[in-house]
Amino acid sequence: MSDLLDAVALPGREEPAGSSRPGRSPAPFLRYLASKVAAALVSFAVTLVIGFVLFSLMPANPVQSLTRGRPTSAAQMEHLRHQLGLDQPVWHRFLSFVGDTLQGRLGDSWQFQQPVASLIGERLWPTLLLTGTATLLSVVLGLWLGVHSGWRHGSRFDRLTSGISLTLWSVPTFWLAMILLVVLSTGLGPIPSLFPAGGMSDAYSPSGFGHVLDVAHHLVLPCLTMVLVVFAQYVTVMRSSVIDELGNPYLLTARAKGLMDSQVRNRHAAPNALLPSVTVIFLQLGTVVGGAITVETVYSWPGLGFLTYQALQVPDLPLLQGTFIVFSASVILMNLLADVVYRFLDPRVRAQ
Amino acid sequence: MTTDADRSTPSARPGTARTRNRASRAAAALAALALAGSAGVAGAPAAAAADQPTTLRAAMSFSGVDTLNPFLAYFNGALDIFGSVYPTLNSLQPDGTPGPYLATSWKPSDDKLTWTYTLRSGLKWSDGKPITAEDAAWTLNLIMTDETAATANGSLVANFEKVTAPDATTLVIRTKKPQSNVPYVSIPVSGIPIVPKHVWEQHTGDLKSFKNDTFPLVGYGPWTLTDFRTEQYAKFTANKDFVLGAPKFDRLVEQSFKSPDAAVAALRSGQLDYVNNIEAAQYKALKGDKDVKAFQEVGNRWFGVELNAGARTKSGKKLGTGSPALGDTAVRSAIALAVDRDTLVAKVIDGLGKPGAGYLPPAWPQWAWSPAGGKAEHDPAKANKLLDDAGYKRGGDGVRTDPKTGRPLVLRLGIHSDRPRDTQASAYLAGWLKDIGVKVDIQALSMSKLNDDLAKGDWDMLMDSWSTGPDPTYLLGIQTCDALPDDQGNGGSTDAFFCDPEYDKLFEQQVTTFDQGERAQVIGKMQDILYKANSDIMLFYANGLDAVRTDTVQNLVTGKADAAGLYPSQTTFWNYITAAPPAKGAKDGSGSNAALIGGGLVAVLVAAGVAVLAMRRRSASDDRE
Repeated sequence: MSDLLDAVALPGREEPAGSSRPGRSPAPFLRYLASKVAAALVSFAVTLVIGFVLFSLMPANPVQSLTRGRPTSAAQMEHLRHQLGLDQPVWHRFLSFVGDTLQGRLGDSWQFQQPVASLIGERLWPTLLLTGTATLLSVVLGLWLGVHSGWRHGSRFDRLTSGISLTLWSVPTFWLAMILLVVLSTGLGPIPSLFPAGGMSDAYSPSGFGHVLDVAHHLVLPCLTMVLVVFAQYVTVMRSSVIDELGNPYLLTARAKGLMDSQVRNRHAAPNALLPSVTVIFLQLGTVVGGAITVETVYSWPGLGFLTYQALQVPDLPLLQGTFIVFSASVILMNLLADVVYRFLDPRVRAQ
Repeated sequence: MTTDADRSTPSARPGTARTRNRASRAAAALAALALAGSAGVAGAPAAAAADQPTTLRAAMSFSGVDTLNPFLAYFNGALDIFGSVYPTLNSLQPDGTPGPYLATSWKPSDDKLTWTYTLRSGLKWSDGKPITAEDAAWTLNLIMTDETAATANGSLVANFEKVTAPDATTLVIRTKKPQSNVPYVSIPVSGIPIVPKHVWEQHTGDLKSFKNDTFPLVGYGPWTLTDFRTEQYAKFTANKDFVLGAPKFDRLVEQSFKSPDAAVAALRSGQLDYVNNIEAAQYKALKGDKDVKAFQEVGNRWFGVELNAGARTKSGKKLGTGSPALGDTAVRSAIALAVDRDTLVAKVIDGLGKPGAGYLPPAWPQWAWSPAGGKAEHDPAKANKLLDDAGYKRGGDGVRTDPKTGRPLVLRLGIHSDRPRDTQASAYLAGWLKDIGVKVDIQALSMSKLNDDLAKGDWDMLMDSWSTGPDPTYLLGIQTCDALPDDQGNGGSTDAFFCDPEYDKLFEQQVTTFDQGERAQVIGKMQDILYKANSDIMLFYANGLDAVRTDTVQNLVTGKADAAGLYPSQTTFWNYITAAPPAKGAKDGSGSNAALIGGGLVAVLVAAGVAVLAMRRRSASDDRE
């Protein structure tokens, strides 16, 4: 078992000749996959219905919100109501929503007067870049720290790591973002202004490789903020599962073989302790698309989080439903992936 | 447990060398990338210091841009862009009155129904085609006849009967009824932009989906839009032949910021030259910055509390759950008398504004009105007496009872949950009303919930805020009986269900009064009626707060400060034209230094990370059996 996990956890290794690889027996795997996919589709459908009901029940008057503060005649407001379909009964709106969604149509945003799909499309990549990078960095940092502090729990390193990570975890994201903005972007005392205060690139940034560097420069602060706030969850999960492994006899066996302490840790304890972290990582990956609204707002990152906030204010139902579909689909997809990956990681799942 | 002594174990295994090499190669590549990054970052500003085009960097309106299609858009960020890249018939002069732009003169006929505009000849769209009266007539006609084209500005031409262009320099607008504000209909930013007919003709069929994002955008104005990135920036180049004066900068960037905090941070560190609409705390902080001029402009927005004196539809059907006590003028007057506006100005907006009185904000002095004595009355004793005389007796808990219903005088106060000013002001209001025996139940709600409640009449008091452009017709219009909703509760633009035939008569009169002095008098009478009705109690007008860097820009501020240090209401249209780069030699290189250090820090961090990673990889590979 540990050999197999080892192979997954340390991809650089040569493949052991495992006999229980899922690839060897495709039929059960396909059956397993099909059942998981079916379950995912059902939960997606249920989520869509819940989403629609919630948004429709929300006390709101979109026509009032949309026309507020701009000269609009009563006839124009009536036209708008009709155009938005608000004069239709709810069941009628629900049917057209289901029909449109099944055909892959997300409709037009009410406030931006553009197709929802293009609004989401424009903001999807910046969000994936930011939250994807931040998740990757915090996973690497969190797992590394978690393994080491769990292995030597109670040590000064452990106390320091746990203390710092939990403190940062408890800090409100927008507050930390503002502090970093003031210190590292505005500059404070002897610290000069190091990073841009917002945006994803300079309006006159060079093209090609220079543009990549410019975007990286803009990425530092928002990414740093997100990493600092979320890496604690990987630290704590990994730390506690490493501690759980500590007393196990197989570690004694490994030591008896003459392995160094770090080898025992990296090749035996850590891989076995990895499973709970995989769950957390996939849960987190599902929310990557949703972005981080506070970080995006403080650093003016052109992402999906802020778009959702704008949609909620009106409320702009097509846009709200569009973002809701994308967010829930990504969470469900990641859960599905987690189920599949689990099957490869944990033979117990396979044995079911 | 051992320490990481194994890390130093030398490795000579051939099988692991590959891994290590790969790791160190990756490390080298990453370090190189990071170093190049710092060089690249440092290189850009350094190059800009040479004799390159000058760029004015301003923060985009915090609302952002909804769409670049001028027939559809209504976010301020979009309107600012249109003001810079599309022409209008009239300009808005710094004193708030209409001036020449495409038109050099405009005159109503004797029957007041026909306006004849004389347009300039010789102006050209950015693609070289001439700008004629036909472009203007076509644009206005499209808005008058096409429902989609009317989305943004339809109501401005609702009274237009016919618009024609008898020749290239003459535009004739015939209105259904006399309309005094025609010269305000097509002004930069808040009015109708004129678009090139030869470009837009092809898009009348797909107007709803046309995004208008082919750059450079064909238009005419002080600037040409050369690039736009959603939620990021709009880039412009100057039109050095602009008829009202060439911009002094070569380029303009409007950078998108989602919060004033980030924009101010960017201003302080020199990434931005100009931010408008900052908050009081930021204004105070920037006052101490030697490279920044923080200034106030006269406020164009009122902040007030609306009282539900009896929500009803156009036909008089009662709506909602408003407290009947507010139908009593004595109660509304008492509430108005209890409010200490000077304290609100001092505490809620740090003294950066004026106490409220008249319905129209002071930014447009031609319409300003104040009650006798110059300011709104504040007299809690008189308020108590009014309520005593009207029979509202205090109970044991100090709360009065409504003699008509026998219920205690408890009023809901709806406030915007996301506006700190609402929270602060409502706490003061609750205290002052408690002193006159009225209990206030503060309800912090989302904007959409507040709008929903308002339309249904399910409220007693609401905190609200309205602004107006230089022509007040719309803001005055929401107080007419015509703004009440229909019997289904739809179609209303009213903010307090106010309806008074006398007011409506004056409203019609101001629309048809062509002498602007006389019109101002009529509008004054209307404000007097609103003041006495106490349906909209004006609390204060917050000054507009702006900040501009003095080391990179000069002459951006328009107009002269008054005795109180307030500048006239600013329009980005003029600000961006008159703004000029500093005299040569005054430029400092702090920006590039900062970027150099920033890039350097990134490089060091990345290199350190890579080094650690490489060492770990090596030790890991050493472990392999």
